[in-house]
Order: sequence, then C-alpha cells, then structure tokens
Amino acid sequence: MASEEKLSSNGFAVQKIISAIVADIGKVLLGKEHQVKLALACLLARGHLLIEDLPGMGKTTLAHALAQVLGLSYKRVQFTSDMLPADIIGVSIFERDSGQFRFHEGPVFSQLLLADEINRSSPKTQSALLEAMEEHQVSIDGETRALPEPFFVIATQNPLQQSGTFVLPESQLDRFLMRISLGYPTREAERALFQGVDPRAQLARLAPRINSEGLRKLQSLVGQVKASDSLLDYLERLVLHSRQSPECTVGLSPRGALALLHAARAWALIHNRSHLLPEDLQAVLPAVAGHRLQTDGTGGTQLVERMMHQVDIIAA
Amino acid sequence: MSGGVSQLESLLPRESLLWIFAAQLAVLLPHSVHLPLWLLGGWCIAVYWRLEVFRGRREMPGRMVKLLAVSLALAGLVLTYRRWFALEPMVALLAVSFTLKNIELVSRRDALLSLLLAYFLAATLFVFEQTIPYALYGILCVVIITAALIAQQGLGSARPGRALGMSAKLLAQAMPVMLVLFVVVPRLGPLWAVPQNSNAATTGISDSMSPGDLSELSKSAKPALRISFDGPVPPPEQRYWRGLVYTHFDGRRWSEPGADRGGLNWGRSGPGSRGHGRSHRGEGNDASERPLPAVGPRFRYQVIQEPSNSPWLFALARPHSETRGVRETGDDTLVYKMPVASRLAYDVRSWPRDNASSDARLDALERRNHLQLPAEGNPRARAWARARRDEGLSAEAISDALLNFYNRRFTYTLRPPALGADSVDEFLFSTREGFCEHFASSYVFTMRAAGVPARVVAGYQGGEWVEQQEYLLVREYDAHAWAEIWLPARGWVRVDPTASVAPERIRDGLQSAAADEFMQDALVPLHKFAFISRLQLQWDMVNYRWYKTVVSFDSERQQGLLRRILGEISPLRMALFIGLPMLLALLCLLLWLKLSSRGPTLPVASRLYLRFCQRMAGAGLARNPGEAPGDYARRIERELPRLGPIAARITSAYEKAAYGGDPLAEKQLRRLLRTFWPMRLAGDALRHTDSPTEGQSVGQ
Repeated sequence: MASEEKLSSNGFAVQKIISAIVADIGKVLLGKEHQVKLALACLLARGHLLIEDLPGMGKTTLAHALAQVLGLSYKRVQFTSDMLPADIIGVSIFERDSGQFRFHEGPVFSQLLLADEINRSSPKTQSALLEAMEEHQVSIDGETRALPEPFFVIATQNPLQQSGTFVLPESQLDRFLMRISLGYPTREAERALFQGVDPRAQLARLAPRINSEGLRKLQSLVGQVKASDSLLDYLERLVLHSRQSPECTVGLSPRGALALLHAARAWALIHNRSHLLPEDLQAVLPAVAGHRLQTDGTGGTQLVERMMHQVDIIAA
Repeated sequence: MSGGVSQLESLLPRESLLWIFAAQLAVLLPHSVHLPLWLLGGWCIAVYWRLEVFRGRREMPGRMVKLLAVSLALAGLVLTYRRWFALEPMVALLAVSFTLKNIELVSRRDALLSLLLAYFLAATLFVFEQTIPYALYGILCVVIITAALIAQQGLGSARPGRALGMSAKLLAQAMPVMLVLFVVVPRLGPLWAVPQNSNAATTGISDSMSPGDLSELSKSAKPALRISFDGPVPPPEQRYWRGLVYTHFDGRRWSEPGADRGGLNWGRSGPGSRGHGRSHRGEGNDASERPLPAVGPRFRYQVIQEPSNSPWLFALARPHSETRGVRETGDDTLVYKMPVASRLAYDVRSWPRDNASSDARLDALERRNHLQLPAEGNPRARAWARARRDEGLSAEAISDALLNFYNRRFTYTLRPPALGADSVDEFLFSTREGFCEHFASSYVFTMRAAGVPARVVAGYQGGEWVEQQEYLLVREYDAHAWAEIWLPARGWVRVDPTASVAPERIRDGLQSAAADEFMQDALVPLHKFAFISRLQLQWDMVNYRWYKTVVSFDSERQQGLLRRILGEISPLRMALFIGLPMLLALLCLLLWLKLSSRGPTLPVASRLYLRFCQRMAGAGLARNPGEAPGDYARRIERELPRLGPIAARITSAYEKAAYGGDPLAEKQLRRLLRTFWPMRLAGDALRHTDSPTEGQSVGQ
C-alpha cells in the first residue's frame, strides 16, 4: 500500500520527467516516439536493447540522446572481427613506475554502452560482452569488478549483408530484453530533417533531465506497477499460445514471460498507470517476444502480430 | 501424396506389423475349426515372409510369386471343397485373400485394408457359431482389431496397454448405440439362401430304427430340445415328444412309409420335397377332416431344437404350429421345410388326444399300411398273436395281455444282447432283455400280427427341469420309442410297453431306470457328481437365455418388444424412440463440453464487459479477440462517433475494475451498462444529429 501511495504521490513528477525525456529525445530522433518509448521502457526495466536496422537510421543518435538526457556516461564500441574480449573489458598493464599491474578499464565500464554491429565480432568477444550484460560485473585476472550502475547496453546489428558476420545464437539473443528496429522516418519527419533541423546540434544542446539516483528510483517504481489476475490470465494465454501454436517451434520461456511482464510494467509506468493493461502487454510484445520465438520460415515479429490477433484478451 | 519420400514415410513400422498379425491370428484362430488347416499354415508362411522383409533379409515377393501363391491357394480351395457356392468355401476364400494380403502389406493403406477385412472375417464367425463363448471371443477380436487400428497411428499409441485401453474405451462408448441398433434395426430375413454344409452328420433320431439305435443315443448327454411352457405343464408321464412315426417293417428295421422306396433323403431331394409319402395336413381335405378344437385344454409351449440336420420336429400329440416353415403331418407330427442345420425355435400348441374329438376314421390304405408285416419271419410271435385273436379278445385285451407278458418276465437294459434274424421272436421268447426300441418294435409287430393297426413312434420322453421350471431340458439320452395302436372308438392311442417293464424310466428318466448302466462309456462319470450336473444345468440355462433373448431375436420378437415398449409401432413413436435418447445423449455431451471448456469462471467485470462487447456486436461493431479494450474504444470512437464517449467511459471503468482492482469502478461499469443500448443510442443520436452530445473527450 505504501509503495502505491508513493507512486501516486510522485505520479505527477514522474510523468513530467518521463514526458520531458521522451520529448527531448523526440527532438533528436524525429517521429519515432514509439521506439523511443520502447527504448526507455527497456532501460527502466533494467534490460538491454538490441536495435536491428540498416545503417543511417539513427541507432547511434538514439543511444547518444538517451545517454545525454538520462545523464549517463556513454561509450561506443565499433565491433570488428579482429576484436578481442580485452578490447571491451579492459586489460591489466604492468607499470614500471609502481612495479605492478594496473587495470585499464575497457569501454564496458560505462553506464550506457553502444555496441555497434555486435555481429561483426567473433563469438568469443560477443560472449564476453553478453556475460557482462548478464552479471553486471566482469572478472579479469581472477578479480571481479562491478560495472557502474545503471548499466545499459544498446547493441546494433545490420540485418543485411550477413556475410562475414557471426550471427548471435538464440541463447545470446535472450540476453536482450527487447529487439526493435527504427525504420524509415515518416514523411513529415524526413521533411523536417531536410529543412535543416540538425539532430547533432540538438543532441549537443540536450541537458540531463534526471540523475542516476532518479533513474534508479524510476526503475524501482517499475516493479510496483500492479498486474491484476485478469491481466496475468491474458499473459498466461499468450505464453501458452506461443508454446502450443504449430507455427512456433520454440515458445516463450519462463524468462521470456517474465521479461514480457517487466517490460509491460515499464511501459505502463511511462504511460502513467499504476496498473497494467492488456495494451501494455501488446505494446511491448513484438519487441520482447519477436527475437525469442523460433519459427520455421516466417519472422518472429509477424508471428507475434498473429498471436496478438488470435489470443483473446478476456478469456475464451 | 506422391513421390518416394511419402512412400518411405508410409512404410509400416514394426509395431504396426505386429499388431496387424496379432489381429489376424485372433480372427483366424476360431475359424480353424471350420476351415482347412493348410490355410493357417499359409498364413504362417505369409507372416514369416513379411517379417523377413521387415528385417531386410528378403525382398517383397514379385509378381510371379504372388501369382503362384494365389493359384496355389485357389487350387487348395477347389480341392478342399469342390463346391463353390456354399458358405464355407466363400468364407475360406475371404480368409485366403486376407492371408495373402500379408505378402503385399506395404503401406498404411494396406494395413487399414487388412484390418477392415479382419472385422469382416470376425463377423463371419457368427455364421457358424452363435454361442456365448464365441460371442465373447468375437468381442475380444473386435477389441484387438480396433486396438491394431489405433496402433497404426504411431509410436505412442502402439503400446499394448494404451492401444487396448483406448480400443476398449471406444467400444464401450459404442455399446449404447449398439444396443439401440440391436433393438431397432429392421430384421431382414436372409436375402438369399446360402447352401449350408450338407456333409454334417445327422444327430439324434434317424429316419429308420433297428435294434440298438436308440441305445447308442442313450450314451450322449447332449441337449436335444429345450421346452418352455406358457400355461399348464403336462405331467411327467405325459411328456412324449413325438418326432417320427415308423409304419414300415422289413423284418429288422422300422422305417417311415416310403423310406424303402428311397424317397426320404432330404439332403438330395431338397427342401419341400414330398417324396416321403406322408399326407400333409393343411392341404386338400385333410384339414377339414380332422380339425383341432379352437377351445379346450391345450398346452402352449416353445421348443428350441438343437441342430439335427434332419427335418423332424418334436411335439406333444396333436400339435399345431404357427411358426413359419413348420408343417403338420397326417401322423400328428411336425416337420420343418428343410433339415434343421442350426438352432430352431418354434411355437406349438398341442391338444391331448383324450380331449380331442374322436370322430377320426382310418381309411383302407392307411389301415393296410398300419397292418403291414413282412411276408415271413418271427413265426412264434405271429402264432402267439393269432392265438390271442382266436380267443376272441378285443384289441385292448390283446394289448393288456402283451403288456402283462412284458411285465412278468422282461428286463430293461441299456446293453441288450444281440439278436438274430427273427429279432422279435428272439426277444420275446429267449433273450427278454431289451431297450425301449425292442419293446416298441416287438409290441407293434405282435399287435399287427393280431390284426390291430399299430405303429412305432420315436421321439423323446421326459426331460429335466432347469432353474425352477423355467424350461425343460431334453437330452439325447431321453430318446425313446413307443407304440400307438388304433382303436376304432378312440382313434390312435399311445401305448408304452417300456412303461410296463420299467415305469421309473417314464416317471424319472433314464438315469434312475438304468442306474449303473447309465452313461457307462463316458470317460469321466461326471453325471455322478451332483455339483457338476448342477453347474452343467446352470450353464445350459445361461445358454438358453442367451439364445432366447439374443440369437433368436427376429423381426417378430423385435416387433413384439417394440410394441411392448412403445404401445404401438408408428413412425412417429419409432422416431421418438430412436431420436430422444440420441438427442439426450448429444445434449449431455454438449453440456459437458461447454462446462469443461469454460474453465474457471470469469470475473464479474469481464463478464460485464463481454456483455458490452455483445451489445456492440449487435450494433455491427464486434471486438476482435486480440483487440485491447482501449483500442476497441478508439475504434468505436472512430467508426460510431456518437457511441464514442459512453464506450470510452465504459472501457475505462472496465480497465479500472479488471486491471486496477477498483471495486467502485465495477459498480460504475454495471451502472453504465444498464443504460447502454447501442442500437437505441445510435438511433437517438441519428435523430438529433445536431444535438451537442459529442465532443466529450473521455479517457485517452
């Protein structure tokens, strides 16, 4: 009860902050409000984000803007096939002055890491990053080092030109809470772009709307969004459908179902609701379940669309 | 479905094959009694070959091998039967094709074909046998075949327990349907007569009698007749089940009139032949000559006769039967239109002679027939008879004298000594030990010699009550021969010479009369254990009831039963009788499906919201299953703007109630729904198009 009061008492402030964040990013990434909200929800749900899109669609811009607005330390790594785990995690170098090894932190020691074209690097390097994502810590030379809090990875990969890439296996894909694609901008957005709105200039002008303390508070609020029995029934039906449908070779795992619930909670929080609605689940479902469902032939996203149409919200 | 891949996929797995073979064996096994044994051998070879194919050691037989197998099997059939259009060769042909199918058992289609044939073959078993053990075995067969069919579905269902269980469940479910169909499906007579096997030996009483015939019969405890009475029951000494009347004597054998002319071979001359020289009542003048009284004391009973392969039926004197195919003869006996090859039930009414009118006459021809004696032989008996006649005694007095003669000096035995050429003389004056046929034969001979028309009657006498007089069981050893003499005043009168020697034979049956001699040849003297005899009687009773209720359920009984259930047989009542239970069953099923598929009951808010959705659907805008309430409200707003605000309010109330857990919202939802009638609202809105009801933005 106390937590609910807190949520409602802070409701106004929370909503104000969130809408400011969304608006700020919207200035940089024109006409992509839904994707921005998804990315934000992913972050609030303490998950990592995989953006699958063609080059030049604004992946980097989104990551950068998020970091800027949320006041996070931001690093970017361009993955290549000759990268080694140490290039990400860091390396201990012997210093003659002090006569001992000193650890040089890699780019992973940041609050928001943009792992560009993650599928270009070797599985070894990929798994080093993915392990860090899962554990929120890295172990080097037998020493465990905690990563900064919050720790948020946005990885991108190019769906085309897959030659010479190492496709992320399903188990690794599962580490990402969401997979989204930005898509082409709308006509209006593109026109505005042509008319000289310079996203980069906007980016530089963005001020942090929240500090990491505030972000942590927001993240804790996500868990307090209420899920009623009716909603959990719907969630169960969705999960069951994914497991029983003949189209699906592999259905949603319990971890996937939990991820769906958590992401939906974050989505509800963004929309200033203290309880979950079916549309919250539906909003995050393609992003959360699309890369987790294995299908024969058709893409996971299409499957999720069909699933949303077939599964009755109010019981059969 | 084409190409090598699908064919490979449809190859039969091991479980399927084993199941098919099990079903085939189950079906073929009981047939081995009727069908030639080489058929079973052929089946074994075919199965062996198919298993070798499965193990990859042998190829599927080629065209030449198959052709050879078919010709061999056909040749075997021809050699075994020599006659085509009979039942057994046809069943054998079916079994052969069924057997040979094994060597081309490749695809699932072949498997299904083979199993369907197995059903058919299992059904043909009942052409031969209709007893309870066979019925049970038939059910077992059906269970196994069905299990084999289920096993064709794949690995999981091929496990024996599962397949058999499933099969039993399926068949149990089909049981009510079977019972209803058993009662209501019209019983058609056989559409064509299938020649039965005529090689079967006749059992029981034959068309002629020579000394020793009946004592042979007395060694058999097989049932011959089962008789149930409707109304009064004749006393034991009256239970003479007349079957045949022998009038012709050749010095040794008694036979039917005309049997010496060779006309009485039923098997060859076929049903309906009247070459046996009997005069049939119901034809010509005979009917009006000796009418049976319509009223008066009579016995009504039903006889179920075991197959005897001869046409004679058994009944008390002066019988009349309405059963189809049964005719009465001038000798007061009944005959069937063809040899009784399977159990036959017939209803009889009998008028005891004492009560019937005695205005009968014996015409000259009949009189001559009933006085017929061989030209010579048995001089002493003839002399004795002549002496009695010369004394001026009446027919009754001569008979009494003869019976007295028996009573003083004769012994009743199952093992009479052999008799020479003058059998009557030897019996009467030297051996004086005999069985009923000796007494009857010598009595009739002597009476005829004395000028009294007489004849030998063969049939059964007595019987044993089963299950508190439910029915009378007459066995082969109850076979008996007695005499009838003609008295002008009374007509034919029954005289049983055996009774004057061994009255206990008539009163208590053979077992008490013959004592130690009874069933002496039996390997195990089972009849000496009361417990076992009782068990046998019980078993016989079960069989009797089975036959009465199930096997002999023909169209007549069917109509009787339906009339009893329905009152009258009209199409409407029949339809109700069949339709109502089915309707009831379907309704129960529907209810059950509905209840079981509903799962946990919906919360109140959801039910209310569904009502809203229903009303909206009535207004032409149904919610899609996967459409979230919010999206639906927005769609309503877009497509039916007049309903938009109220729909939005209802939706938000529902969302608060169902997902926010707000009890107040539930009440609000109920209140909102009470006035929500989309058709009326839309209509009102259409009428006041310019009224400012719109524009109230609610919710989103």
